[in-house]
Amino acid sequence: MTDIRSRPAGLTKWVVTLPPGLFLVVFFLLPTLIVVLAGFRETGEFGGLAPIDGLAGLTLDAYRFLLGDVIYLEIFARSFFVAGLTTLICILLAYPLAWLIARSPKKRRDLLVLLVILPFASNFLVRIYAWIMILGPASLLYTPFAVIVGLVYTHLPFMLLPLYTNLEKHDPALLEAAQDLGAGAWTRFWRVTFPLSLPGIFSGSALVFIPVLGMFAVPELLGGTGDILIGNLIKEQFLDNRDWPLGSALSILLTACVLLLAALAAWAARRGLHGTEAVS
Amino acid sequence: MNKARFWLWAASLAVYAFLYIPLAVVVIFSFNDSMLNAEWAGFTTRWYAKLMHDEDMLRAAANSLLIALMSASIATLLGAMAGLAIHRYRPRWLPFLVLTPVAMPEILLGVSLLLFFRQVLDLSLGLLSILVAHVTFSIGFVAVIVRARLAGMDESIFEAARDLGATPWATFRRVTLPLILPALLAGFLMAFTLSIDDFVITFFVAGVGVNTLPLQIYSMIKVAVTPEVNAVSTLLMALTLTLILTASRFAPDVLKGRA
Amino acid sequence: MLSVAPWLASPPLSAAGTLYLYNWNNYISDETVKRFEAHCNCRLKQDYYSDNEEMLAKLEAGAVGYDILVPTGNAVESLVRRRALRPIEKAQLPRLNNIKPEFLNAWYDPGNRHSVPYATSVTLLGFNADKMQELGLPTDSWALIFEPKYLERIKGRVTVLNSQRELMAAAMRYLGHSVQEHDPQKWGEAKRLILRAKPYWAAFSNSTYIKDLAIGTIWVAHGYSNDMFRAQQDALAARRPFTIGFATPKEGAVLAVDSFVLHESGRRPDLAHQFIDFMLDGRNAADLSNLIGAGNPNAAAMAHILPGIAANPGIFPPAPDLKRLEMLRDFDPKLRRALSRMWTEIKVR
Repeated sequence: MTDIRSRPAGLTKWVVTLPPGLFLVVFFLLPTLIVVLAGFRETGEFGGLAPIDGLAGLTLDAYRFLLGDVIYLEIFARSFFVAGLTTLICILLAYPLAWLIARSPKKRRDLLVLLVILPFASNFLVRIYAWIMILGPASLLYTPFAVIVGLVYTHLPFMLLPLYTNLEKHDPALLEAAQDLGAGAWTRFWRVTFPLSLPGIFSGSALVFIPVLGMFAVPELLGGTGDILIGNLIKEQFLDNRDWPLGSALSILLTACVLLLAALAAWAARRGLHGTEAVS
Repeated sequence: MNKARFWLWAASLAVYAFLYIPLAVVVIFSFNDSMLNAEWAGFTTRWYAKLMHDEDMLRAAANSLLIALMSASIATLLGAMAGLAIHRYRPRWLPFLVLTPVAMPEILLGVSLLLFFRQVLDLSLGLLSILVAHVTFSIGFVAVIVRARLAGMDESIFEAARDLGATPWATFRRVTLPLILPALLAGFLMAFTLSIDDFVITFFVAGVGVNTLPLQIYSMIKVAVTPEVNAVSTLLMALTLTLILTASRFAPDVLKGRA
Repeated sequence: MLSVAPWLASPPLSAAGTLYLYNWNNYISDETVKRFEAHCNCRLKQDYYSDNEEMLAKLEAGAVGYDILVPTGNAVESLVRRRALRPIEKAQLPRLNNIKPEFLNAWYDPGNRHSVPYATSVTLLGFNADKMQELGLPTDSWALIFEPKYLERIKGRVTVLNSQRELMAAAMRYLGHSVQEHDPQKWGEAKRLILRAKPYWAAFSNSTYIKDLAIGTIWVAHGYSNDMFRAQQDALAARRPFTIGFATPKEGAVLAVDSFVLHESGRRPDLAHQFIDFMLDGRNAADLSNLIGAGNPNAAAMAHILPGIAANPGIFPPAPDLKRLEMLRDFDPKLRRALSRMWTEIKVR
């Protein structure tokens, strides 16, 4: 296993790595760096940014302002909680369906996957307004519950699809072997299926948890007076308060938190995987 | 065993219902004879008739569909490469580069790209700038899903293929591609929905007079959701379904997993 | 069907005869557009924003190609200071004297060097008139959304704007302060007033309140006069068993004046001037008021505006009311950040 990776990869390696790498460096890294630097600048008198003036205008004001105030920490904590809850519910809802699709006859699988994604070919706002029409008469609109429903609904496919692609590759022979060895359904699930599906759960969680943190439309439309996420706060800085340095600083802090968490999760996962490998 | 199967089906159907109930509301109210869009006031197809004459809306829908198909294709290609590269060669920087756009708030991404297009590249904005922006935020999603598919994959089959003298390309086509196909399909669909739904980033990078459906709908919804918006959403779903079904019928065998 | 042009260039090849308007949603009637297109023998294309800040952010980041924008007063000031506007050539606007004198020469653009007023709105209270009568609540004061003694009877049936400036401005007026106040202490009072009332509100809402009022799930909403007019019309059209009313609170409120300005990146200042003068014509100016219930700064338009709208004091404030109306003004970055901090506290607590 190791000798494959240490083999000189040569041309193939670069053919695969360079195109996405270059694309992201040019169209993501460079552009965001410009605005990240904005976080170190002063706000212009009439909004936006003060004119660029070499390094002279650089300041840590925005960061000092955010880090010196516990209220922003509170919003971060709250957002991470909401994102975590959304992710958990998505896992619980997506798992049985992903499992069912993965175990369906091959011909039917693509159709079932398509059925999952089809509602999302309509329009985000239209779907949210549909929820307003459903939740309104039930007196559930403008509540934290409505926000969670909206967040779960809009992010469910991002849990379902990674989970399905992972579960689909599991070898049924493994389960049969476990059954032959006399393992019950639950035991087989917890000892065989679940550990093997962990990479799928991790990927799905990343694709749900992370975008939820930056979300602002769902709390804005479905939430009550107390439902605010970091996404709302960031939006306000750019599109209400005209304080780009603060918006940029918030975005960077958020991204840093997320990447740190991802690194931790990857590290834990690697340890976990090695653990299961050692067992088998 | 049968009991477990029963519960599995029950749970799955419940999730499908959860996904489709709002959709049913959208479709039903596209035939509702009331501007208010709140309660049933009688059947009509006048919103569809109105839609057929709404040139702006139809052009916006065509733009959206075109951009979604193209950006999903490109993002699937680049995202798959990134996923493969991360799995196979483990460059430490690539996972971060791929994940950060997913983590970056979309407003910041939109403002950054607009600044970059206009003030660094001096590119005039149009559909192309929207396309590039959509590919940028979709790559990460595809890469993550491809990587999840490859994780824990038995490496010996790649080795076996190589030992049998297969070129890297042949290995890819005969071994890797069929293995990651479900992930490519899933990634494509995710990128498609991300693109067709995006409002914030598109708002910033769209050029003068260039509209996508979310921009058009947002501008209408602000005043009130008229059933015409429901009608265009319904049509878009029908069109997407048709497109994908047609594509899967005419797709080469390899795409149907019969390689 | 799909030309290559939109892929690369912002203004497609037909730009020779196209005027690009960056406008609020639904802020010019289709009939007016058609009439103008026939009049100038050109095309009028619109892009939309739903908030001044969206438009400013997009322009700030470098968007170009718009001939005309329709910013509110404070945004006009910001654009002027950033030197983003092209001066207006008054010689090309013979109908400029149709504008009522009280809307000319405003603080944000002395001498109207850059802007021509187009429409006005007031941020006020909309309400379910039947419910208010039934409960015996006063509809002419901000007390309705700030005083617990009234609020406890309409708990969960109230929405307020999800806008730091608008909501805090309403609180400032209720406390007897100016909305252009610079003293952070006084803004702190407004924050405390809002925090005391917040538990009784259902939501911060910028657009859903129109429908909520028309359906009857919300009884009182803080919002724009245009939107209240819309809710009123919708409720009427749907034959609801109640009517929607709206009124400017006696303590005073925020007045918004939206004006046409020329962006410096526009390519057709000639068509732009032609358009503005066309819109200054009384009949054309009246279209918007009749369409969305917008207030109108154009004196010649009054004769063409439906009597029910022209006589509505919520849309056309009578002279004594007008004196109690104030426009929002941008603050310096320091106060802006302090206010944003208060707003965050309002949301979190």
